[in-house]
Amino acid sequence: MLRLLVLSVCVAATVATNTLVLVDTLATRETHSIFLKSLQERGHEVSVKAADDPSLQLSRYGEYLYQNLVILAPGVEEFGGALSVETIVEFVDGGGNVLVAGSRDAADLIRELVTEVGVEMDEEGAAVIDHLHYDANDDGQHTLIAAPSSGLIESDVMVGPSDGTPILYRGTGLITDAENPLVLPVLRAPSTSYCYNPTQAITDYPHATGQNMLLVAALQARNNARVVVSGSLEFFSDAFIMASVQTPQGSFHERSGNGKVVEALSRWVFKEEGVLRVVSIDHHLEGEKHPPAAYTIKQDVEYKIKVERLVAGSWKPFNTTDLQMEFVRIDPFVRVTMIPNSEGVFSVTFKVPDVYGVYQFKVEYNRVGFTRLFNTTQVSVRPFTHLEYERFIECAYPYYASAISMMVGVFFFSLVFLHHKDPAPKSKAE
Amino acid sequence: MAATTTPPSTTPPSTTPPTTTSGISSPLGVKSLLVLTVLLLAWLAGFLSRLFAVIRFESIIHEFDPWFNYRATAHMVQNGYYNFLNWFDERAWYPLGRIVGGTVYPGLMVTSGSIHYVLNMLNIPVHIRDICVFLAPIFSGLTAIATYLLTKEVWSSGAGLFAACFIAVVPGYISRSVAGSYDNEGIAIFALMFTYYLWVKSVKTGSLFWSSTASLSYFYMVSAWGGYVYIINLIPLHVFVLLLMGRFSHRLYTAYNTFYILGLICSMQIPFVGFQPIRTSEHMAAADSICRIPTHPYVGTHGRCRLYTAYNTFYILGLICSMQIPFVGFQPIRTSEHMAAAGVFALVNAWAVLKYLQSVMTKAEFTHFFLGASCVAAGGVFLVVVGLTWMGVVAPWSGRFYSLWDTGYAKIHIPIIASVSEHQPTTWFSFFFDLHILVATFPVGLWYCIKNINDERVFIVLFAVSAVYFAGVMVRLMLTLTPVVCVLGGIAFSTLFEVYLKEEESHRPQVGDSSDDDDDSEKNNKYDKAGKLRKMKHEQQSNNDGLGVNIRSMIIVVVLMLLMMFSVHCTWVTSNAYSSPSIVLATYGQDGTRQILDDFREAYYWLSQNTAVDARVMSWWDYGYQIAGMANRTTLVDNNTWNNSHIALVGKAMSSNESAAHTIMTALDVDYVLVIFGGVIGYSGDDINKFLWMVRIAEGEHPKEIKESDYFTDRGEFRVDSQGSATLLNCLMYKLSYFRFGELKLDYRTPPGFDRTRNAVIGNKDFKLTYLEEAYTTEHWLVRVYRVKKPDEFNRPRIPITQRKVKRKNVYLTKKNNKKRRGTIKNKPLIIKGSRPKIVNVK
Repeated sequence: MLRLLVLSVCVAATVATNTLVLVDTLATRETHSIFLKSLQERGHEVSVKAADDPSLQLSRYGEYLYQNLVILAPGVEEFGGALSVETIVEFVDGGGNVLVAGSRDAADLIRELVTEVGVEMDEEGAAVIDHLHYDANDDGQHTLIAAPSSGLIESDVMVGPSDGTPILYRGTGLITDAENPLVLPVLRAPSTSYCYNPTQAITDYPHATGQNMLLVAALQARNNARVVVSGSLEFFSDAFIMASVQTPQGSFHERSGNGKVVEALSRWVFKEEGVLRVVSIDHHLEGEKHPPAAYTIKQDVEYKIKVERLVAGSWKPFNTTDLQMEFVRIDPFVRVTMIPNSEGVFSVTFKVPDVYGVYQFKVEYNRVGFTRLFNTTQVSVRPFTHLEYERFIECAYPYYASAISMMVGVFFFSLVFLHHKDPAPKSKAE
Repeated sequence: MAATTTPPSTTPPSTTPPTTTSGISSPLGVKSLLVLTVLLLAWLAGFLSRLFAVIRFESIIHEFDPWFNYRATAHMVQNGYYNFLNWFDERAWYPLGRIVGGTVYPGLMVTSGSIHYVLNMLNIPVHIRDICVFLAPIFSGLTAIATYLLTKEVWSSGAGLFAACFIAVVPGYISRSVAGSYDNEGIAIFALMFTYYLWVKSVKTGSLFWSSTASLSYFYMVSAWGGYVYIINLIPLHVFVLLLMGRFSHRLYTAYNTFYILGLICSMQIPFVGFQPIRTSEHMAAADSICRIPTHPYVGTHGRCRLYTAYNTFYILGLICSMQIPFVGFQPIRTSEHMAAAGVFALVNAWAVLKYLQSVMTKAEFTHFFLGASCVAAGGVFLVVVGLTWMGVVAPWSGRFYSLWDTGYAKIHIPIIASVSEHQPTTWFSFFFDLHILVATFPVGLWYCIKNINDERVFIVLFAVSAVYFAGVMVRLMLTLTPVVCVLGGIAFSTLFEVYLKEEESHRPQVGDSSDDDDDSEKNNKYDKAGKLRKMKHEQQSNNDGLGVNIRSMIIVVVLMLLMMFSVHCTWVTSNAYSSPSIVLATYGQDGTRQILDDFREAYYWLSQNTAVDARVMSWWDYGYQIAGMANRTTLVDNNTWNNSHIALVGKAMSSNESAAHTIMTALDVDYVLVIFGGVIGYSGDDINKFLWMVRIAEGEHPKEIKESDYFTDRGEFRVDSQGSATLLNCLMYKLSYFRFGELKLDYRTPPGFDRTRNAVIGNKDFKLTYLEEAYTTEHWLVRVYRVKKPDEFNRPRIPITQRKVKRKNVYLTKKNNKKRRGTIKNKPLIIKGSRPKIVNVK
């Protein structure tokens, strides 16, 4: 039965994206039904399994069975089956996307897992506390945070357009290295918040405070695999999505911002949004069609690159005005902004620098929320061959003249010399 | 037309004697047959003794530079000469690339390419590699003939045969011309000797024909080897010394002018040499001499001769101009300068003509005035050259040239020159090793030459003295000493045998003497002022030789024994020291069996088969040509050490720690790193032993990051064991050489990680590589190849335990041992029948 199921999953793998959802209790299926349902509606083949299921596996015969992994099981101390921190890390390195939700009491395994992607969860038992930004439904510990939407990352691709509704959150705080360029702060904690165990008296300075603390962090790895880590499982829950928000400052919102953010974030993490690809590259001399074996210095070269973006499941031409091309030999010699057309073809014409060597056409486009667009094409730039130099140079004309006059002089001199007869030596010889 | 006209004053004596001698000596045919046979045998012996490497190993290109020459030749044969000239090699010096046509002496490639072409025309299909392998042995025979001709001009035919036989087998020359050693020197020594022969010939005859051929031969030399600078400085020196000695003649003037101008033109046709002849100080000696000659008062005394030479000079100058036009478009500023130099040259000549006219009008009292004037002119020219050099118009001497005069110069200023093993000072041992008995006998020949001095012997003396000096400075220049040692050794042995073999025919001592030494003495007569006096002495000597037959025969036997020992030594040295291809190593076991260590080719073959076609391999520059030639992969630096800063960058990467090296390697797009490690088999020429040079070269360019003193212990020792400096034990080169070496136990007597080359247990045994991974290690660990990890292999920003802000009490450890096991969940709700599980939920 189970084998059959796996087999059907395998067959389905070719048509739809497979998403494995791990839960620590099957009740999560109900409590997070909106989130799971939205996945199914978007064409995911969702299989929800208990995290301790002994038949769990991510890959079979070296092929990944799933593209996406959702871990809604903060309490898991040991995965069942073939799953472990190592296999999940390998899954990420192999290009898989992972969404991890933690909680105040998240097990060590989850904490270990998130450090592998550059995020730390605060100590066990610690919760984000904010005495200014909490929801009216809070139980008095001020751990039900109504995070203002200004803490969201400025990226429509990741979190959708901002509409000012606060986001409900209850869980632990996340600590990341601010200098790490790969980890993105999706949702920053309010500046008045801190993270500590609400039932204990504060003796140490909290690990995470204010804006340095993240509530939701995202990683886009160098292989474009995406990981979202949230310190709160309930962040994705139906209850939070459907809840209304009443802040102590008195503003009331019918619905929390969670629904919109979760929807957008899950689209992003499962690579339905913000995915770019290079379709084709073309470079040639201006006025020609095919690339030469090597370019010569000072030639005019046309470079074209076609870029597409994934929009609602299909590839559409990408359009931006800030895509640049560099012509690099260790350092960039040329850096120009390319002009797009309606078909997503970016083109530029430039002059090859007067320095020979092995160059690369390099297009590198890193924007928050988008996959890394990186493409290099190696070409050689050679110096002039012996026939390609200017034939006559103006400043050398005096020398041409001197040379020619010398040759003419020699010619006449030789005529004179050969036919001139000197009478005096003759008499001597006699 | 020009060649047939000879200067009038010397015409009668120069043409008559050869005809009379040929008429008188009846056994001329036998004699020339003998000469021919000896030369052929010398050729054969020289050729055969160079084949040890081919017979023992295989027909393979040796060492480092020959691999590039071979690759370039193959490229030329495939794509034609013009494609070769314009060849931009993107596989070398990544990412700078190398213009091969403009940075190479093409003589070697053109020579073997044309041999290949001719053979193919004759329907003899020979692979170009075989031509390359056997080119140097074949040219050694030509060198022998050229040496014979030179010695014959300088002394006698007999001495020439001796010299030819010596040069055919002498190890000093064999070292660079064994089969497979496909290098410039192989053909350049022939060109050198032939140019000298033609120069001596043209000085003797004063004929334009000979001096033109001398410049053509010089042109060939220029196209073949950078050592042509030696010719272009030695010949002006010869001219200058003759001038000082009062031996100046218009023959010399013709010879030199023709030689200089033609040589100049021709040498400029080699793109690599380009405008160096007029721009660099090395060549200024030659230019200086040519400016001085016309100012010499002698010019004024021969009316027609002057006209004639002037005509020739002008004619050739016209030729210069015509030949230069295609190159004018090359680089305008340089061309302008070149034209200006030519203009000055013409001006000086015109000035000389003016002076001549004055001298004709005012008689011989003006000689002193002219001497003064010429001194002033010479000083003026000198000052102008110095001034131009100072202003930067004329490039100053190159570092290699400086290091010839100041042997410590390179070590301080240009470590890359000092690092080349060929550039080390010569030991006395190697003089004997390379020349054997000749090193003892050549001063005898030198003494004979000085004693019986004449124009061309002045040349040989200068050649010998300068070559001895240079050979003492650099091991590599032993090569230029060897021919002159052979010539002088030949002269010494020839005179010795002349003295001791002659008494046999005691009934006709004078006739025998004259017939044996006939050509020589007669010729000496016609151009040598001291000739007569010498003849007298010689006769006296031969008359006073009252030695008995026994002593004579004893001496002859001893000398013959010496010669025999010489040939035995030569063969032994050739066989043992100079016939190793160096890319295939051979060791001999205790029972005498030979073991071939073919690690280099194994590694290069692995690279060619297992890496991407455009993979970039970083190694120390020594192995660049081999990687390009055998593995056909892109290299960063190679043996054409034209860019010091690029080499310094590689040196810096090798001497930095792993992470700093990784940034450099990423910037240079390095895919693989190749190191040579000899610790397993005790091969001393490995990268760790060369490592200090890498540090020094890197320090020269990056003095802030790399400091040589960091790599020594406090007591100033360079050691790889646990006493070694921490910087050394953690640098990239150390790690790449010794990665996993700590686990290797070579035999029972030594602990694991014992380095046989340096006889030490390595200091840093257990380490892992972060940014590289081992890709391949050859059978004897001689070559180790590592793959550089790309940035996207460091996919996630993992937070190591030491950098975590939240310290957890219990470290996470998985207890799982079975893949089918059920996991555990904290606070898992138990399902109790009949009651709903309590769900934690928000209100």
